[in-house]
Amino acid sequence: MEEVSGYIGNFTVKIRKKARYVDPKLCNSCGECAKVCPVAKPDEYQMGLSTRKAIHIPFPQAVPCTYILNMDDCLGNNPIACGKCADVCEKKAISYDDRDQIVTREVGAVIVAIGLDVFDPRDVEEYGYARYENVITSMEFERLICAGGPTAGHFVRPTDHKLPRRIGFVQCVGSRNPRIGRPYCSNICCMNTIKDTLLLADHYPGVENVVFYQDIRSFGKSFEDMFQRSKEAGTRYVRGLPGDVVEDPRTRNLVVTVENTTSGKLEKHELDMLVLSVGVEPPKDLAKISKLLTLSKTSDGFLMESHPKLKPVDAPTRGVYFAGFCESPKDIKDSVCQAGAAASRAGALLNAGKIHIEALTSRIDGTVCTKCGLCAAVCPYGAIVWKKGEVASVVEAACAGCGACGATCQFGAITMRHFTDDQIIAQVRAILAENPQDKVFAFACNWCSYAGGDMAGISRIQYPASNRVVRTMCSARVAPEMVLEAFRCGAPVVLVSGCHYADCHYINANRQTVMRIQKLWDTLEKAGVRPDRLQLEWISAAEGQKFARVMQRMEELRKTVTMEEIEHGRKVLQPKPKKAAKKEAAESVAVT
Amino acid sequence: MVATVETFRCMMCGHEYQEKVEKGEDKERTCPKCRSNSIRHLKKQERTN
Repeated sequence: MEEVSGYIGNFTVKIRKKARYVDPKLCNSCGECAKVCPVAKPDEYQMGLSTRKAIHIPFPQAVPCTYILNMDDCLGNNPIACGKCADVCEKKAISYDDRDQIVTREVGAVIVAIGLDVFDPRDVEEYGYARYENVITSMEFERLICAGGPTAGHFVRPTDHKLPRRIGFVQCVGSRNPRIGRPYCSNICCMNTIKDTLLLADHYPGVENVVFYQDIRSFGKSFEDMFQRSKEAGTRYVRGLPGDVVEDPRTRNLVVTVENTTSGKLEKHELDMLVLSVGVEPPKDLAKISKLLTLSKTSDGFLMESHPKLKPVDAPTRGVYFAGFCESPKDIKDSVCQAGAAASRAGALLNAGKIHIEALTSRIDGTVCTKCGLCAAVCPYGAIVWKKGEVASVVEAACAGCGACGATCQFGAITMRHFTDDQIIAQVRAILAENPQDKVFAFACNWCSYAGGDMAGISRIQYPASNRVVRTMCSARVAPEMVLEAFRCGAPVVLVSGCHYADCHYINANRQTVMRIQKLWDTLEKAGVRPDRLQLEWISAAEGQKFARVMQRMEELRKTVTMEEIEHGRKVLQPKPKKAAKKEAAESVAVT
Repeated sequence: MVATVETFRCMMCGHEYQEKVEKGEDKERTCPKCRSNSIRHLKKQERTN
């Protein structure tokens, strides 16, 4: 996918169709071309344990099952340096003139299923991967024991090509390890290792298996049964991860030092082979996809869904759905379930033919718009269409109604339906009309902070009664002018509260809130107003306790603000007359 | 990855601290002392690498 434009139901997608250099309609997979190809390269599918030719079938189950020519490996086509494959091809299927094509498609929905990358264990030096030949990854193990693998399913150790008698498995390599930036569980590794030990016990009954683990996670249908069968088959499970792996230079055996946390003893295990159960990580091109489709990522780097419980296959961008690892690590069964759900969601959308759009969308007044384009830059959904020198416009089907654009526009050109500037300012004034000095004034986002307040209430958690909350759909809707108006009306303290970073209902709109609050602190300081009278907090819907704690702190802060400070704030934060108003006033003076 | 050591001040408790910031990072900040999210990014900074 090279480019995406449009919105739900009306996406235009540009796709790069890579050159194969072999016509799949003519190729009959006879293999004569590969026989004469002089280039041998490590076979990616076999994890580099065998070689392939420059012209090859990527893997046995490839569809279409025809050859492709990897031009990065070929000796050259301009001028043709070899040409042997084309010479022997009876069907004349090979064309060196083939080029990448850009195909444009109109689609109603997009399903993101871009898979995963595998952790590179060279980053965990103590296990000796790439230093010792007999240390392999679980992916390499898979190829070695597979009948279609480089050894035709005969499991041998790389140094002497003999059957290993003692095999160790190390769990959580690249998973649950914050030290290397992989704090999450990869979900699949425990069951994969259990499956491998059962395979070894079945194929080679005399082989001893030892699994070094920190926890075995075998939840899921029949998984615990598999774990028990593995133990009954003789696999030893040692609770503790190795601290050191050293190779005996004479035998090429590996000596693994591990603290058995069950017995509390330090153990040394001499093994013929060590298999590193490597974790998974988000694919490297995830950043490109997330930029194209305006998606956001969770702290572990996977794509964030619209709602973790209620919309687990929907992206925050409407019309985009997830399937598989790109959203979070999951096994085959869960990936299939999610793929089915994504297909159903997309099918329902396409069959309906029409959608209900949000009532709370933004609208741009073309007569007031100054064509600056700031609104388009802050829209997390790419819902604002703007070209330099042109008035911006909102694609209502793509707008989710966060209001970040309305808070950014300094010219009053944007109106967010049901949460207009005038409506919010009127609420501010009404709340602070009487005894403002006794009130803690807060803006809270609809989805998290306001719900956090509700949670505090229904949980009967006590907090000061002095707080007054104005609800906005997103904290990004809170324009600087609204905060300043609260101070002008005599608010001693103002709180702006939104969702935690990972929970933002509007992809990443609350990052705009942070930038605005930073600027407001500068503004207040310059005006001689204590900047700490403005506070920022992230409160989730489940954090009733935090809501109460924050309100308690705000109340304590309120008590430190004197009447003199409030009056000073009122005076110095008065709005400056706008240029147009100044000009108008000057003209009226000239006329009189 | 370009990283700088930058100074932050908690606007709730006044605690001032330094933290390594990588370019383009997207991180929710919390005061290490009082757990408040009112973290002001002060302008002074020094490059680490």
